[in-house]
Amino acid sequence: MTEPPRETRVLDAVVSLVDTLLEDFDVVDLLTELTERCAQLLDVAAAGFLLADPLNQLRLLAATTEQARELELFQLQADEGPCVECYASGQPVSIADLRTAGDRWPRFVPAALDAGFTAVHAVPMRAAGIVLGALGLFGARPGELGDADRLVAQTLAHIACVAILQERAPTPATVMPQLRSALASRVIVEQAKGLLRESLDVSVEDAFLLLRAYSRANGEHMTDVARRLMTDRNARPVVVSAIAEFATPST
Amino acid sequence: MAIHEQLLAAIDGRRGTEAADRLCEACVVLFDVDAAAISLVFDGANSGTLGSSGEPARTYDELQFLVGEGPCLDSVTLRAPVLVIDLADRDEGRWPVYGPAMLDLQIRGVFAMPVVVAGEYVGALDLFRIEPGQLDGEQFSGAVVAAELAGAPLLDLLDGDLHAAASDPLSNAWSDLNSLSRAEVSQATGMLVAQLDIEPAEALVRLRAHAYATGRTSTDVARDILDRRLRLDAD
Repeated sequence: MTEPPRETRVLDAVVSLVDTLLEDFDVVDLLTELTERCAQLLDVAAAGFLLADPLNQLRLLAATTEQARELELFQLQADEGPCVECYASGQPVSIADLRTAGDRWPRFVPAALDAGFTAVHAVPMRAAGIVLGALGLFGARPGELGDADRLVAQTLAHIACVAILQERAPTPATVMPQLRSALASRVIVEQAKGLLRESLDVSVEDAFLLLRAYSRANGEHMTDVARRLMTDRNARPVVVSAIAEFATPST
Repeated sequence: MAIHEQLLAAIDGRRGTEAADRLCEACVVLFDVDAAAISLVFDGANSGTLGSSGEPARTYDELQFLVGEGPCLDSVTLRAPVLVIDLADRDEGRWPVYGPAMLDLQIRGVFAMPVVVAGEYVGALDLFRIEPGQLDGEQFSGAVVAAELAGAPLLDLLDGDLHAAASDPLSNAWSDLNSLSRAEVSQATGMLVAQLDIEPAEALVRLRAHAYATGRTSTDVARDILDRRLRLDAD
């Protein structure tokens, strides 16, 4: 049973994502899905979107993983590594084998290797000449990012930009508030993960999956559910119980 | 020097209201406005003007709370900057009470940049101009940066018991500012909300206060809370 050719899968993914853009979507949810598409369509083990805040710091907006160790790696990427350079230059940065790059990024490289990643590629997120951030791709095996793969990555990064800007023409005046809003949404989602961790005694990774499953099943924005959990004390117990239903029943 | 470096230099390590005032004074100089103020729009008991470049700025800012409307309040509700080029413009009718009142005070331009603390839009940095006119691109970007920095003194001011933070000469709010947006700190904040039945901003304040009191970073404290090595008291 042969899989459809990669081009077909890429086009299907793009069509599906563009459809989502035309509907009502949650930025954190959609960007998380984009990272998952990256992992499926490209030969990478993990992907993450880093966005610039008003102080020009890169911050993690979404990633394929909620594993603490890998999230940490993405956050480290915000200080040192290919994504920082990619954001600063607006150009892709690609390292086929991190084992040769130890001098360049003395903190990032050991951490990445330790996490099982050997190749890293960063693709800029750009809109109308403004660089919003970077898409970081991690591979478990060494290797270049081929032209076809780079094009796929740039396409997905571009969809991410459109999702973040949400029909506002990209000028500095509109871009910065949108980035702040996206990053603020991420903060609320992180808080909700912590709250669910405590209330349901689950890992933060599972808390994210539960939150997402509940939101999608109820046709709600993940950020809205998270905000309700965090700010509406009266609704909280009910929402927590409802989310708990999505946990795999323990045997 | 980058804008945020200039603003930080003006704040010069201060905390709370003093930091807010300094930030406002710096905005007046850097963005060519006539007055600046930082307001908190959090809940009934906690709203008001918390920092300003001077008495006139405080007056302009407090007006919105008096009349219950204004660009600053709107910027928090809308979670976006609200920019008023000229309150005297015939087509500018968004604030039927606030507009004329401000014109009486000779203010025609108002630029309200919302301030985010712990993921919530809790206040605004308000810039006022006597002459009508847009903020140019650099001034606008700079104002967004200033609004970002305003989160730290606002966080200080949400803490009723300021002592630990404001009076500790070694306390490091400004270098810690970045760590406050890390995933672990937000996750630990969420855990504290569940454990102590408090609001996220208060949870963040407590986490930070514990970090200062123990001489550790917010991130380290957050990790301990997440791994259940540390539990903060309800007191």
